Amino acid sequence: MKLSKALISALIVGITVQAAGCKKDDAANSCPCGMG
Amino acid sequence: MTAIASTIACNLDSDILSAAIPLFEESRVEAIEWAFDSLDFSEVPEWFSDLIDAYSKEGRLIGHGVFFSIFSGRWSIQQQEWLDNLKKLSARFKFDHITEHFGFMTGANFHYGAPLAVPFNSKTLTIGRDRLNRIYDACQCPVGLENLAFSYSIDEVKKHGEFLETLVEPVNGFIILDLHNLYCQMHNFSISFDEIIKLYPVDRVREFHISGGSWENSSLSGKRIRRDTHDDAVPDEVYQLLDSALDHCKNVRYVTMEQLGSGLKTEESRSNFYNDFLKMQQIVRNKTSVPNDAENTFFPPKIVPPGDIIEDENLYIEQQQLSYILENSTSYDDAVSRIKSSVLAKSDWGIESWAPHMLETAISIAQKWKKK
Repeated sequence: MKLSKALISALIVGITVQAAGCKKDDAANSCPCGMG
Repeated sequence: MTAIASTIACNLDSDILSAAIPLFEESRVEAIEWAFDSLDFSEVPEWFSDLIDAYSKEGRLIGHGVFFSIFSGRWSIQQQEWLDNLKKLSARFKFDHITEHFGFMTGANFHYGAPLAVPFNSKTLTIGRDRLNRIYDACQCPVGLENLAFSYSIDEVKKHGEFLETLVEPVNGFIILDLHNLYCQMHNFSISFDEIIKLYPVDRVREFHISGGSWENSSLSGKRIRRDTHDDAVPDEVYQLLDSALDHCKNVRYVTMEQLGSGLKTEESRSNFYNDFLKMQQIVRNKTSVPNDAENTFFPPKIVPPGDIIEDENLYIEQQQLSYILENSTSYDDAVSRIKSSVLAKSDWGIESWAPHMLETAISIAQKWKKK
């Protein structure tokens, strides 16, 4: 399925911002089907 | 003729999404499966909501629940909240189907922890059917259940497919056949694909999951136990299962690759994820030309509004005791001793036939996911 270029750009920016925030937050502060 | 959508399990996880970007850019991802109950939707950023929306508008969004705990003996406020949330999300997005895991969660209130098996009997059947009907009532789209990776005994492995079929029948539901879960069962109980696939209602399979996992050594048997940890690349054996299973299951619409973000932090792992998806997609495309003239829509033949909530206090007590023992035993021998003196002894749980290496594994799983 084709996604718009605008959506893919927004995803890349969003992921980058989230990943950067994660590292900072995790430093300061998943799915279990019965065999996890 | 129905095309099969090559799908990724896609959640708000920067590692999963980073690995998926090249696939999105090449327009390879034909559907996404969203674990809709893993986060409060009000916290979801607009860009992720837009991604879900894009697939929803094309009828290519499927939902996968984790925390409902379908077989909990006692109805809980969390289950009602889960349904309310699903109803709200189903009004906002168009799900092509909704699925949940088989089993009950081991956590003390059964909404965290890991899903484990229940006895296949009339009381669990009645509760399971009631819960599936409530899920359908909330989402108004086809509803399915995923086969479990874990079993205590070979007898349970052999009855799982038949019990799943009986469970989903009233809502004309379907099955997600998780092929890595099947691989776990095949390895842990030394059963072949040809034997095990005959025990599943293949016409009710609407989705396959493929994923990786890990090995754990049993200190009791010396045997390697295969676990469904979703933290590694898809093994070749699972691709072979996909190729074979596609020949048996003519109602499949989705093949979904699952991997946890924790296993996608390096460039190498993300490159493997990309290559795994391409390999999966090639297998799927080679098989998609099989026509199916009698496709099941998996909508219920008639709508039966949910009645009084069905509960079973004895089942609840059994689940509580088992969860407590698994989460708190200090050793395998300690767990065996406690189970033998619990209400589980000489009951439908069939503890007398549990394989020691699988009880050992159940303890390991329950303690891994125990709420700290």
